[in-house]
Amino acid sequence: MSRSQKITIWGLVWFSIITLSLPTLVVLGASLTAGNMVAFPPQGLSLQWYEKIALARDLQQAFLRSLIVAAICTAVAIPVGTLAGLALSRFRLRFTTAIQVYLLLPFTIPLIGSGIGLMLVFGQWHVLGSLWPVGIACAVINLPFIIWSVSSSAVLLDPDLELAAQSCGAGRVQTFFHVTLPAVMPGVITGSLLMFILAMNEFLVSLLLVDARIVTLPVLIYNSIRSIITPDLAAVSVVFIVIALAVIWLLDRLVGLEIFLKSK
Amino acid sequence: MSGVQQPAAVVAEGVDMDFGTGAAMAVKDAGFALGRGRFLTILGPSGSGKTTLLRMIAGFQTPTRGQILIGGKPADAVAPHRRSVGMVFQKLALFPHMTVAQNVAFPLKMRRFNPAEIAGRVERYLELVRLGGFGARRIHELSGGQQQRVAIARALVFEPELLLLDEPLAALDRKLREEMQLEFRRIQKELGVTTINVTHDQREALVVSDEIIVMDQGQIQQHAAPAEMYRRPANPFVAHFIGVSSFLKGRRSAAGIEVNGIDCAGQAVADLAPGVACLGAIRAEQIRIAPAGAPLPGCDTVVQGQVTDIVFEGERLLCFVTLPALAAEVQIYHHDPAGLDQLAKGASVSVGWTAGDLLIFAADKG
Repeated sequence: MSRSQKITIWGLVWFSIITLSLPTLVVLGASLTAGNMVAFPPQGLSLQWYEKIALARDLQQAFLRSLIVAAICTAVAIPVGTLAGLALSRFRLRFTTAIQVYLLLPFTIPLIGSGIGLMLVFGQWHVLGSLWPVGIACAVINLPFIIWSVSSSAVLLDPDLELAAQSCGAGRVQTFFHVTLPAVMPGVITGSLLMFILAMNEFLVSLLLVDARIVTLPVLIYNSIRSIITPDLAAVSVVFIVIALAVIWLLDRLVGLEIFLKSK
Repeated sequence: MSGVQQPAAVVAEGVDMDFGTGAAMAVKDAGFALGRGRFLTILGPSGSGKTTLLRMIAGFQTPTRGQILIGGKPADAVAPHRRSVGMVFQKLALFPHMTVAQNVAFPLKMRRFNPAEIAGRVERYLELVRLGGFGARRIHELSGGQQQRVAIARALVFEPELLLLDEPLAALDRKLREEMQLEFRRIQKELGVTTINVTHDQREALVVSDEIIVMDQGQIQQHAAPAEMYRRPANPFVAHFIGVSSFLKGRRSAAGIEVNGIDCAGQAVADLAPGVACLGAIRAEQIRIAPAGAPLPGCDTVVQGQVTDIVFEGERLLCFVTLPALAAEVQIYHHDPAGLDQLAKGASVSVGWTAGDLLIFAADKG
């Protein structure tokens, strides 16, 4: 690589790193302020806003609700996404392409559209007002992530592995649990963590599906912003960022981050 | 084949496999019987249908016509996991998330052996493949040869009626491959398990097998013992595949084959009417070579030629010699490194052979 190429590439890398991390750094700074206003750079350093959010009951409850939504979403997405991901990559189904396009649709339909659709459906069923529909909605709109993640593991799976299990005397169900599932486990873990964090952060669809009694954390933050922006919101945002980092750390420990470089 | 009263271990009767892709059938009218304890190699180029035939025996594919009997019973209705068939796969297909011992124990676990018996058997079979003490290792910690041995142990540990080998040695380097060939043979003889091996390596087929089937374009070309196949290939394709390198085109004559107006001594493999177009085939090690004019005692046919190239192969020389009189080129092995000087490129030489070594086939195939 020539000198000028090196400079260009490193320039781009640093530009990306800075622009991507700037908002995070600003929020982090603002959350540490000793003053009463969201400001960057912070006016003095203190952890007072973290203390405040740790004691705020509404924030705690909203946080708990978000955790529940994320857990429901993940619990629904694991079996559905794993089976769909395996089916799409392993079998030559009649409508594979059509199904793949259909699974892409949640991305092409604006979230506001699918959110209103889900709101109408759940409203008809009279289930709005509980948390589980929010979890299921998050699973539905984010399903492609876990399907892709499982598929990318499944295409690496040697089909002979399943035949070998059969010749060892394993029936279909045993083959699935003893051989297929362990082989795609990295994809399942990656997909589940993604689903968890996406559901945790999901705002727009939650906004449409929750009412005042069951606001999730992103919705609560939004509601607060509409009245007055205080540094405690910055502190909550930092908590979100820390959770995301924790998930990524967990992912790296469990399956390694290389899977993102390999997946298609 | 074995002539014993008990049913043959494996029988194929008129087996077809048509994948319905519009291309030629993968396997056409395959039929053979294999006696208990025998080691059969199905030999053929890629696309010859040998792997498809093996996979039908394993139960992974169902013949479109005909039937396969294992132990005298029709196998078609039996799911692969209920067949008593162990298999070593081309890419081994060891379970990467299990240890060596867990891999070997897997067939026993699936067959619900009791845990004490499993432990004993796993140990015994790891000893058999000379991997005693490796049980706790992970698959990726093993060398290629060791992985082969794990795959063999896993295929044999439940004492199947039949062992199938789907080109498991193809990916190994030559030295290891030859070592593993002898290892397969040793284990097979030790256990007496009926074995079907698939390969495209004719040396491997000759080394390991009791019987060889040569396949081409979905059809069985010949089924014979290795020595028989080596000496009397059934047609030019088999001859070529089993290592015959020189072919002469001509017509059937009384002495053998008339090539370019010259009568060459040879032996027809079947009755061929005089004048019929035919093909003479001879191995590089059966042609003798000497400096031009030197006598070649014992040869029935001697012709003059010119060396066009020489390849030094260590224990022998491979000479490419054109024979202008026959309008042909032949390959000759010469086992006399001392004679190196006389066989320079461009040298004039005499070549000859005995009538029994030039095999004459009808010229319709190959």
